[in-house]
Amino acid sequence: MSQPFDKLLDARGMNCPLPLVNARKEVGKLEPGQVLKVIATDRGSVADFQGWAKIAKNVELLGQETESVDGVNVYAHYVKRTA
Amino acid sequence: MRKNGEPVWTTEDLLASLEGREKFFVLDVRNRDEFARFRLEGREPLPAVNLPYFEMLELGGKDEMVDSVVACVEEHLAGQLPRELPILSVCAKGDTSEYVAQGLGLLGYTSANLKGGMKAWGNYYSTRAVVESKELAIYQISRPARGCLSYVVASNGKALVIDPLRHLHPYLELAQNKGFEIASVVDTHGHADHISGGPALASAHGASYFLHPYDAIHPMDVLPATIPYDPIRDGQIFKLGGVELEALHIPGHTLGLVALRLDDRYLFTADSIFIGSLARPDLGGRAEPWARLHYRSLRKLLELPGKMIVLPGHFSSLAEQNEAGLFAAPLEELKQRSHGLQVLAQESEEAFIRYLLENLAPFPPEYVDIKRVNAGLLAPTEDDASVLELGKNNCGLSGGTS
Repeated sequence: MSQPFDKLLDARGMNCPLPLVNARKEVGKLEPGQVLKVIATDRGSVADFQGWAKIAKNVELLGQETESVDGVNVYAHYVKRTA
Repeated sequence: MRKNGEPVWTTEDLLASLEGREKFFVLDVRNRDEFARFRLEGREPLPAVNLPYFEMLELGGKDEMVDSVVACVEEHLAGQLPRELPILSVCAKGDTSEYVAQGLGLLGYTSANLKGGMKAWGNYYSTRAVVESKELAIYQISRPARGCLSYVVASNGKALVIDPLRHLHPYLELAQNKGFEIASVVDTHGHADHISGGPALASAHGASYFLHPYDAIHPMDVLPATIPYDPIRDGQIFKLGGVELEALHIPGHTLGLVALRLDDRYLFTADSIFIGSLARPDLGGRAEPWARLHYRSLRKLLELPGKMIVLPGHFSSLAEQNEAGLFAAPLEELKQRSHGLQVLAQESEEAFIRYLLENLAPFPPEYVDIKRVNAGLLAPTEDDASVLELGKNNCGLSGGTS
């Protein structure tokens, strides 16, 4: 159930907090209404993106997916800039 | 600070600080629910602030983590962080907290980072000798963050391991350093709070793995364990070099719980009598009938010689440590100072059962799965196993601390 997105951020192999820090920068560069897809291997990113989207202004977490690639879990986060 | 300005604390440094009652402040930047489930604890509560790192990012409002930490602390946290104490930054794995510690350092705080974060602390093991001679050596191997205790008993080069925890390196290293052969591994019961290292340790050494057959059935699933084991019976003797251990079947916390008695000297009480409380009887899902079994078993233990040293399966606070850093006390002393044992000794069976049932903390839902793992009915990944074991054990009564 992949979602459409406008930009992809590959944060695989990065440790916390970099997936979120980098995603936050990239979301800032989007136009309102556009969606950033972040892929990460850090399991903690799942809860962190949820917590962040709740408190950050102008950000909505549209969905999250987990996919196993060669036995490694890859977590996808779809983040929309709302305004 | 233990390391004179060195901004990293290892888990070993942390344990020394907690045991030594060094004063420090904790800034924990994990999610709020992670903090609520599992936090650093000392003999007394530690002063702490929990502010998730992504909230620091938003509050600080900068692009980079360290800049955001500096701005966030200056504008929002300054009044809450002490200038006179070291501040230990803590996160899940020790990476994010490094940025936080850096930011605090830039602001002039005495700042340190917990290396490896709460994951490393949760998986840290500490080994201490209870007694050490050729005729008899006993080591207490603990996971301080979880309050789990296990033991290696050795005599004339042969060792028996009691309730080994999930990671095998502490037992393998000890056996290698001291030249023991691990002859037997005993699980005193089917554990609910942690994943046993018993079957893996036994098979790694060609040793026998012992478990009481009643605990080879999952109490909720009512399904038999798939792990291989040798059944323990009440009164069974484990001969080990020059000493003998006797199994005492003491159902209550589980149906197949056994204590191990080493003549009149040591009593491995497993999950029955702890230093600060008593074990809870409800983790099999049948609190009331198991509380009655617990009552009879505990009464039996009270009849044992008072000079015997109790070596329990858990602790709930570092405050239960004795001067030697061990979780150990003579039975006689516990009878004097344990509220639960006083109720047991002085009140009726019905009053004691009421006391047990009134002091049950909420049932941790993950305990059902942990029992499945220990019975071989579920095989978690390493990540899943870490999540199942997150936080401190909850095997004691909630109101039972002395």
